[in-house]
Amino acid sequence: MVLKALDIYKLLPKKNCKECGDPTCLTFAMKLASGKGDIDKCPYLDLNAKNILGASTRPPIQLVKIGVGERRFAVGEEFVVFRHEKTFYHPPGIMFQVSDIWPAEKIESVTRRVGSEHFVRVGTDLTFSGVAITNESGDPDVFSKAVGVVEATGTHIPEVLMAADPVVQEEGLKKCGNFRPLIYSATKDTYKPMCALAKKFGSPLVVSAKDLESLGEMTKLCNAEGITDLLLDLSFPSLRDYVPAATEIRQKSISRSAPELGYPIFLDTTRYEMQDTALVLGIDKYAGVIVTPALGPASSVATLTLRQNIYTDPQKPIQMNPGIYPVGNPGKESPVLLTVNFSLTYFTVQGYLESSRVPCYMFIVDTEGLSVLTAVAAGKLNETLVRDSIKKFDLENLVSHRRLIIPGYASPLSGKIEEETGWKVLVGPRDAAEIGDYLQKEWKI
Amino acid sequence: MAENSPDLGGKIGYVVLGATKAEDGTRSVSYRLGGESDLPFIGMKTSLGSIPLVAFEICDDPSYWSPIVTSYTGDLVSDTPEWATAAEQQYGADLVRLYLTSTKRRGFDDFPSITKVTEDVLSGTGLPLVVEGSNEPAIDSEIFQRCGEAGQGERLLLGTAEAGRYRSVAAAAMAYNHSMVAQSPIDINLAKQLNILLREIGVKADHIMIDPYTGSLGYGFEYSYSVMERIRYAALKGDTDLAMPMIASAMDSLSVKEVREADPVIRDDIAVAWEFYAALSSAVAGASIVCVRHPKTVPLLKLAFRELWAGKKPGEF
Amino acid sequence: MPSITFLPSYRKITVEPGSTILDAIQRAQIQMNVVCGGQGKCGKCIVYIKNGSVEFDREKFGKFFTADELGQGACLACQAVVRDDLHVMIPDSSLIQQQKILMESLGIETPFQPSVWKYYVELSPPTLEDPSPDLTRLVWGIQKQGGPLAEKMYAPLDVLRGMPRVLRDSGWRVTATLALVPGGYRIIDIEKGDTRKELYGVAIDLGTTTVVAYIRSLVDGHVVGIASNYNRQISCGEDILSRVNFARKNGLPKLQALAAESINLAITTAANGAGIDREDIYEVVVAGNTIMTHILLGIDPAYMIEEPYVPVVRRYLTTAAPRLGIEVAKDASVFLFPAVSDFIGGDIIADILASGMGERDEISLLVDIGTNFEVVLGNRDWMFSCAGAAGPALEGGEVLFGMRANPGAIERITIDPVTLEPQYQTINSIKPMGICGSGLIDLLADLLRACVVDRTGRINTEIIHPRIRQGVHFPEYVIAWKQESGNNKDIVITENDIKNLIMSKASVLAACITLMKQAGITRNELSTIYFSGAFGNYIHKENAIMIGLIPEVPIEQIRNIGNGAVEGANMALINRKKRKTLDEIAKNIAYIELNAESSFMDEYTGSSFLPHTDLSLFPRVQKMLDECRLKKIPPGVP
Repeated sequence: MVLKALDIYKLLPKKNCKECGDPTCLTFAMKLASGKGDIDKCPYLDLNAKNILGASTRPPIQLVKIGVGERRFAVGEEFVVFRHEKTFYHPPGIMFQVSDIWPAEKIESVTRRVGSEHFVRVGTDLTFSGVAITNESGDPDVFSKAVGVVEATGTHIPEVLMAADPVVQEEGLKKCGNFRPLIYSATKDTYKPMCALAKKFGSPLVVSAKDLESLGEMTKLCNAEGITDLLLDLSFPSLRDYVPAATEIRQKSISRSAPELGYPIFLDTTRYEMQDTALVLGIDKYAGVIVTPALGPASSVATLTLRQNIYTDPQKPIQMNPGIYPVGNPGKESPVLLTVNFSLTYFTVQGYLESSRVPCYMFIVDTEGLSVLTAVAAGKLNETLVRDSIKKFDLENLVSHRRLIIPGYASPLSGKIEEETGWKVLVGPRDAAEIGDYLQKEWKI
Repeated sequence: MAENSPDLGGKIGYVVLGATKAEDGTRSVSYRLGGESDLPFIGMKTSLGSIPLVAFEICDDPSYWSPIVTSYTGDLVSDTPEWATAAEQQYGADLVRLYLTSTKRRGFDDFPSITKVTEDVLSGTGLPLVVEGSNEPAIDSEIFQRCGEAGQGERLLLGTAEAGRYRSVAAAAMAYNHSMVAQSPIDINLAKQLNILLREIGVKADHIMIDPYTGSLGYGFEYSYSVMERIRYAALKGDTDLAMPMIASAMDSLSVKEVREADPVIRDDIAVAWEFYAALSSAVAGASIVCVRHPKTVPLLKLAFRELWAGKKPGEF
Repeated sequence: MPSITFLPSYRKITVEPGSTILDAIQRAQIQMNVVCGGQGKCGKCIVYIKNGSVEFDREKFGKFFTADELGQGACLACQAVVRDDLHVMIPDSSLIQQQKILMESLGIETPFQPSVWKYYVELSPPTLEDPSPDLTRLVWGIQKQGGPLAEKMYAPLDVLRGMPRVLRDSGWRVTATLALVPGGYRIIDIEKGDTRKELYGVAIDLGTTTVVAYIRSLVDGHVVGIASNYNRQISCGEDILSRVNFARKNGLPKLQALAAESINLAITTAANGAGIDREDIYEVVVAGNTIMTHILLGIDPAYMIEEPYVPVVRRYLTTAAPRLGIEVAKDASVFLFPAVSDFIGGDIIADILASGMGERDEISLLVDIGTNFEVVLGNRDWMFSCAGAAGPALEGGEVLFGMRANPGAIERITIDPVTLEPQYQTINSIKPMGICGSGLIDLLADLLRACVVDRTGRINTEIIHPRIRQGVHFPEYVIAWKQESGNNKDIVITENDIKNLIMSKASVLAACITLMKQAGITRNELSTIYFSGAFGNYIHKENAIMIGLIPEVPIEQIRNIGNGAVEGANMALINRKKRKTLDEIAKNIAYIELNAESSFMDEYTGSSFLPHTDLSLFPRVQKMLDECRLKKIPPGVP
C-alpha cells in the first residue's frame, strides 16, 4: 500500500520544527511519499506513526545480493505488481548453465563468453549475469573441479551452484564460497545442512518445494535457521504453472498478506523444452534469477533487449537519442529541421516529413524527453543547447547552408538562436501537419 | 493498486471474427475472442480465457514489405492469394492480415483492384481475415467501402480507426457487420478516448478490437507492454470502455537496426527472435491476437501458446 | 532625422533612421498591441504606410495580410524599418483596446486595524524653563493624544531636518503621521495644522496585463477611489516570458520604471477621481505575481524561469516608496506580498487570503486562470499548489478570431442543437469582431452538445450545413457571417482553434486532478471551487464544467472571488494582522512541480477530451450529453 503525502502528513506532529531539514511537515510528508525521505529524521514521531510509516516504506520483497565485485547484482526489493504503477528496479540475473560433466574447455568457453560478451543499446552495456554450474556427475570432486574451472577463468562473474546434495554443495562452496554464489537448493529434507552452508559462507539460498504453500513453509523454516537471503524456486514441472505462481507471489508480497513469500523468484529454464518461451515469461513476470543454456546469437540479443525493456521506467517520457536523422536521401543543400527528443514529437514530425517527400535532416536535441512547448517553457530548449548540439553532431559539415528550421512553438527563441549560433533561423509551423506545405513553400536555396 | 482478489469485477467483452457456412459465411473457422475475467494465464485457474491467435501479415504490394520476408519467401509474395494460402497451410497461422499497401502509391485510384484482391484472398484461405485499408484520408472512404463490401458476411476485422480518422472505417464496418481495429499511440487514455468516440457514433463494443500500437522490441515495446497491461487491468477492474480484446503487431520488428543490419547468416533467426519475444510478451500482457510477418515465427508462437494455454485449440474456451 | 506622423491622431515624432515603426510608436506612447514582443510572429501590430516608404519584407510576412491589405500599404510595425519621413495609419484593431477590467470586490469583512496613524497635537513652545528638544516635545504630545509610548517613537533624519521649521511655522500645531515598524513607530511625516482626515493608503494589484489601484481612507478604511489601467510593460512583450526575456537583455531598469509608472498612473487617476492629494497616501500594498514583484523591486527575474525555479525572496518585503519610484508621500512604505515559487506569487497568496480557504476546515480548490494558471488545494491545515502554462487560448490567443474581452468580442453564445444556428451577445452590443474566452467556452460546450464536434474536438464535416465547412487549413464552423460582423470577415472557429482550447483546458484540469490525487481527495470532498481573476467572473460555470475545465461539482459550490489579488491587497492594507497571516500561508503551501510529476502527462492526456476520458468524473455532464444525443439521433439509427 503506497501512502499519499496527506496520509503521511496526518501522522506527523505538524510542528513545522524544521529539524528534519524540511521547511514544513507537509513537504517532509511529500518527500516520504515519493520515497526520497527518511522517517528517522523526524524526532517527534510517536510509536504508532513510526510503525505505520515504517511498514509502508520497508521493501515488501527481500533484497538479495549475488556475487561480489564489479559483476555482482541484486534482485528483489520491488514495490509494485505492474510496471506502470512505478517501475521495476532490479532486472533478473540471467545465468548460463554449465555442467560438471562437460570437458573443462567447454565450461571455460561458456564462462569466458559471459565474462566478455556485451551489447550496447541506448547507451547501456548489456551483459549476461553469470554461470550456473550443475552437478550432473553426483560426485563432489567432479563438481568441485568444475567450479574450479569457472573460478580459474578469472572472470569474477557471479555463480549459482546447483547441487542438491549438501555434501557436493559444500565442495563447490569451498572453491568459491567467498564470492557469494547462490546456493541451489534447499528442500524440506536438506534445508538444515543447506542453511548451515549458507550461514557459513554468507551465501543466498534458493528454496524448492512443490507448491507455493510449501515454499512459504520453507522460508519460515530457513528464517528459523537464521537465513533470510532466500529465493523461491518456481521451476515447476509444467511451464504453464510459472506465470500464475509468480503473479500470486508478487501480489501477495506487495500487499504484505504473505510475508513468507516476500522473496525473489528463481527459474531454471533448462528443465523445459521451450527455453525461449520460459525465458520470456521469466523476464516479463517477476523472475529474479533465471538459469538458461548458453543462448545462440539471436536469442541472446533479444533476451537482453527484452530485459532492458521490461526494466525501463515506463513513466519516463519516451525519448529519442539526440542526433541527426535523415529523411529520404538528403544532401548538402537539404533543409535541417530542429525538434525535441520526445519520441512522439519525433515520430509525428518524421511521418509528415516522409509524406512531404522533401529530403531533409531531422536535428534532434536533448530536451530530456519534453515536448516543444514544455521544453521552451522550462528553458530546457534554449540557444546554448542548440549551439552545443550543432557542434556535437557536426551539422556544419553536413550541410552547406546555414539555415535552421525551428518548431513554431519555439519561435520566442529564434533571435537568441541566431545570435548564439550564427545560423539563420526560420520559424516553422506549430502543427506538424503543415510541415510539408511549409517546406514546399518556404524552403528555397 | 493490486489486490489479491481472484475476482476483479470486470470482464473482457467478446468479439467474433470470421463466419463459417453455418454462420452464413465461407470461412472454415470462426473465433470468439475475449471473455477473460482475470489476468492472462491466471485466468486459467478461475475463468477461462481464449488462447491467443497468431495472425500472419501479408500485403498486396510487396515493394512496401521488408526485404527479409520477401527474400525468404521468394516469388510467392507477388501472388497475394497464394501467399494467404501459404499462411494457412504452410505456416499454420490462425488468421491472415492483409495490408492494402498498393494504396500507398501516389495518386492511387484503382479501386476495383481492392475489391478483387480482398475477394481473391478470401478464396485463397479459409481463415478469418483482417484487412488493413488505406492511410490516406482522401481515399479512405472508398477503400473501406470496397473491402467492406467484398467481405460481406465474412465478419472481417477492418483496420484501422484512429482518433483523427475513424468515421469512414466505422461506416464500412457498420454497413457490412464487420469488426474494426481501433488504434491509439501507446496511451491508455487515448485508447479509451477512441473507444468512446466509436461508441458515440454507434459502433458496438463487441465490434472493436483495441490496438494499443505495439512498438518493436527495443523500440517502444517497453511502453506498449505496460500500456497493454494497464488497459487490461483497467478493463478487469470494470472499465467497460476498455473491455475489448487487444490485437498487437510489432510491425516494425523487421526494420529495426538490430534485425536489418544483422549478419545475413543469422538474419532470419534474429528476425524471428525479435518477433517472437515481442509477440509472446504481448500475449502475456493481454493481447488476444498477435501478428507477425516472418513465416518461421508462426509455428514457434503456436507451439508456445498451445503449451501455455493447456492444449486448447483456437476459439475454444 | 526622419519624422513620422501617426494617423488618425496626427501625432508626430522623429526617430533615428533604422528604427522600426514600433520603436516610434512606443516612443510616441501609443499603446500598440504587441503580442510577440516585436518578433514579427504574431501579426497583430498592423499599420498602413500612407505616405513615404519603409523597408519591409513583404514576402516573409505576407502571410499576415490579404493582397488587398498589402495594396493599401499594410506592414508590421515591428518589422518595418524607417528611413525617411512617413505618414503611418494605425488602425484601431492594432491598438490595445479599452478592456473590461474587473472592478468589484466581494467585500469580505476584515476588521479595520491599520498600521499608519495620524495624530494632531497642539504643543507648547519651548521656553527657557522648558527647554525639551523638539522631538521630545512632539512624541510626548502624541503619547498624550493616546498614541504610542513616547520611547517607542523615532524620527528618521529627513523628518528631523524639516521638523523645527514646521513646528514653528505652524505655531506648534502639527499633525504627525506614524507608521508601525518592527520595534516601534516611525514618524514619517509632520504637517502643519490638522490634517488627520487626509490619511490614505493604496492597495495595488500589479498584474501582467493590468494594474488596479484602490485608495482607501486609513481613518476608517472606506474606499475613496478606484482606477485601473494597462501595465505599460505590455509594450515590451505581452506575456510574462517575453518580459523576462526583455529583462535579460538589459531591459530590467526599463521594466522596473514602467511598472512604477503604471502604478503611478493608476494611483493618480484614482486620487484625481477622489479629489485627494497623492502626497496624502502613506502606505502602499502591492500584490503581484512573482515576476512582477521581482521586477518592481528591480531584482533580476531571469533565474526564476530556469530550473529549479527559485525566487529570490519567499516572504513579504517592505521598502520605501521612493526607492521603487512610486510617487506618494515621501516616506510612505510599500508592502509587497510574499511569493512561494516562480508561479505561485503574491497574487495567488492574495487570492487565498481573499477566499478565506486558509481559515476553514473544509477543503477548497482555487483556480486562477490566465495565460498561466495556478491551482491551490487545501484547508487551514495544509495546502498544495501548482502552476503551469495554459497557453493563451482561454484568453482568446492562438485562436484565429480570438480576442481579449474588448468591445465587439462575442462573450456569450448558444447554438441551437437542431438548426445549428448560433445566438450571441457581444461586449457593448456592437457588431462582432471576434470571440473572447467566455465566448469560446460557451461555443465549445454547445458545439459538443450539438454533436458538431466529437469529444476530441474534431468537427464532423459529414454534417451538411452551410456553417460547417472546410477552411483553408482546417474544418471550421461559421459563427457570424461577413455581413453581420464588424470586420467584414466570416468569423469562424477552426478545428485547430478547438485543439488549442482543449490543450489549454486540459492543462488546468490535469493540474487540479494531479493536486487532488496527490492529496488523495475526490471531487465529492471539495466544498468549494473558487475562480479568481477576471476570467471566472464572466464564464458560464455550467459550460466550464461541460468542457471539463474544472472538476465537476454542483454549480452552487463554485464561487468567483473576483480580483482576488486586489481584494487581498485591500485586506492587508486595512488590517495589519493579515500581513502576518500571509507569511504563514506562504510558508505552509507545498508547491508541486508539474514538470517533475510523472503522472501529470497521464492526467493531461486524460483531460484532453471533452470533458475527460474518465466520464465517471463528470456524471452530470455525461447525463446531459446522453440526453443531447438522444435528441440528435432519431430512433432506429445505429
